[in-house]
Amino acid sequence: MVELQNVSVTYSGGVDALNNVSLKINDGDFAFVVGSSGAGKSTMIKLLLKEIDATSGNVIVNGYNLGKLKKRKIPEFRRTLGFVFQDFRLIPSMTVYENIAFVLRVLDAPLKYIRKRVPYVIGLVGLHAKTNSYPDELSGGEKQRVAIARALVNDPQLIIADEPTGNIDPELSYEIVELLKGINDQGTTILMVTHEHDLVRHFGGRIINITNGEIVYDEVVTGTNCDLLPEVELAQAMENAANLHHEYSMPDGDIEENDIPYVDDVIAAITSTAKENGGAEK
Amino acid sequence: MKISGIKYLANQGIENIWKNKMMAFATFCVLLISLLLVGISILFYFNMNSMILGLGNQNEIAVYVETDTPQERVDEIHEQIKNIENIDTVTYISKKEAYERMQKQISQGKEIFEYIDDYQFMPDGFSVTVVNNDQLRATVDAITRIENIQSADSSPQVAEFLRELRRVVTLVAGAAIIALAVVSMIMISNTTKASVYSRREEIQIMKYVGATDSFIRTPFFVEGLVTGFFSGAGAFFITWAVYRSVYNVVVAQGMLINAFGAGSIIPFAEIRIPCGLAYLLIGSLVGAFGSVISTRKHLDV
Ligand SMILES: Nc1ncnc2c1ncn2[C@@H]1O[C@H](COP(=O)(O)OP(=O)(O)OP(=O)(O)O)[C@@H](O)[C@H]1O
Ligand SMILES: [Mg+2]
Repeated sequence: MVELQNVSVTYSGGVDALNNVSLKINDGDFAFVVGSSGAGKSTMIKLLLKEIDATSGNVIVNGYNLGKLKKRKIPEFRRTLGFVFQDFRLIPSMTVYENIAFVLRVLDAPLKYIRKRVPYVIGLVGLHAKTNSYPDELSGGEKQRVAIARALVNDPQLIIADEPTGNIDPELSYEIVELLKGINDQGTTILMVTHEHDLVRHFGGRIINITNGEIVYDEVVTGTNCDLLPEVELAQAMENAANLHHEYSMPDGDIEENDIPYVDDVIAAITSTAKENGGAEK
Repeated sequence: MKISGIKYLANQGIENIWKNKMMAFATFCVLLISLLLVGISILFYFNMNSMILGLGNQNEIAVYVETDTPQERVDEIHEQIKNIENIDTVTYISKKEAYERMQKQISQGKEIFEYIDDYQFMPDGFSVTVVNNDQLRATVDAITRIENIQSADSSPQVAEFLRELRRVVTLVAGAAIIALAVVSMIMISNTTKASVYSRREEIQIMKYVGATDSFIRTPFFVEGLVTGFFSGAGAFFITWAVYRSVYNVVVAQGMLINAFGAGSIIPFAEIRIPCGLAYLLIGSLVGAFGSVISTRKHLDV
């Protein structure tokens, strides 16, 4: 479970990356985090990994209150989650097997368990043939599958992914998200930052939009419905929609939970986006 | 931590040497050169010191017993001198020997001796050498205090000079060794830093998957330890070879330069074991801790 309570982050340069953000992601959720560049998405991810600390507010992840977490407890905390990053972050001097096994080594897992578990997760991501390859010998998609295998090998409660599809072919992106969805079906909470709105549209789920360090949109959307939307950047539309909310300062909870998602807003936004950019922005 | 875990980390350390062989080799070389520079300087200093001490030992105290002292008393005095602290050797010089010595020394005045053919006028004496030349004066005083001693002469100027010489040599050598050690530390630290820096991402990734600092450091420790051990061994064998050839050359010239105390050069056999142990120990420790300390900056993520 992830919970942010009135969290703000101000970088030393004076940039307010997050501004009084509150958010709760329940166990078993699959949430996409979208938003324009520089909106504060990675900042949120860094908070959740305790790479940085909140300037104010509470960050609670898997039962650990990160602001109060002692330095020597950080490793213990990090073992309760998995991470996947755009740049894969595999150890170049280790084979696929060793990279994944390393997580279990850190846990001091019995050798017998490691020898069974690692091939199993390598099988899950379909990389049996590459077990003894080094990261340099793999394609981007393969590397990311290794990263996913590593993220799930210790059966974490939560997997955090910051643009996991950012460095791989768009077609492969679906495969990667499919994989994460499968893991989510087993009960693991997944939080994924992405720029690829096609993906969000295709899969649906909980969508959180961060703009200028604030959550401006947070709804559950059905994937298939989205297929019907016109070929306009969905997130861009949502962002604009959110901005509309902003401008008219719509009170929270104005849209009912199971309403057909944001129809009016989306249409309004689409038209405005279409007008501004001829429908082909970015 | 399980045994298998410790074995894993130790193995990682050794594998890492191979995986990062270029950096490991650089570290090995820098350590080797540093150890050699410092090690040979220290050995050079030890030998200088030993040579000066050797010169000091040639600086004997001439002790004269009052004439007409009975032989039994002379023997007693011999024992008394022996029991004084700092005495190395005591050689009895009989009246006759003293007479012959004097004859030799005053070679130009041979005629004098034609008138003196009786050596009975000579006093009994001792030639005394000391262990520590620095305490020469105190030792001379102690000898003088013995009853029936007429005089105990040494050349305090020589002792003084040698003491001063040793002080200067110690200062200069000490400064040089410290400077070399500092330069070596800087070189080693930069090399290990560069070596660790090239693997900082690896360290960060390990932190992200929840590895503790000691888990990450242990392989670095083992890696540095093994590399340093080999540097120490290399430095030892090079020192051995160099030392032996220098020693042989100097000893071959020994007759010529005995005057400079070359006879006091320490044979390598005498220092082989402490020298080897020091090289291995210092090499291993500097290697291990250099490597571990360099990881510190990168562990803070
Ligand atoms: N280490 C840092 N020091 C100072 N400012 C930073 C730092 N990291 C990020 N920022 C700033 O904080 C803001 C939010 O950055 P963040 O990386 O969270 O954006 P993002 O939403 O992940 O963007 P992108 O989609 O491009 O990855 C930006 O204005 C950025 O310039
Ligand atoms: Mg980002």
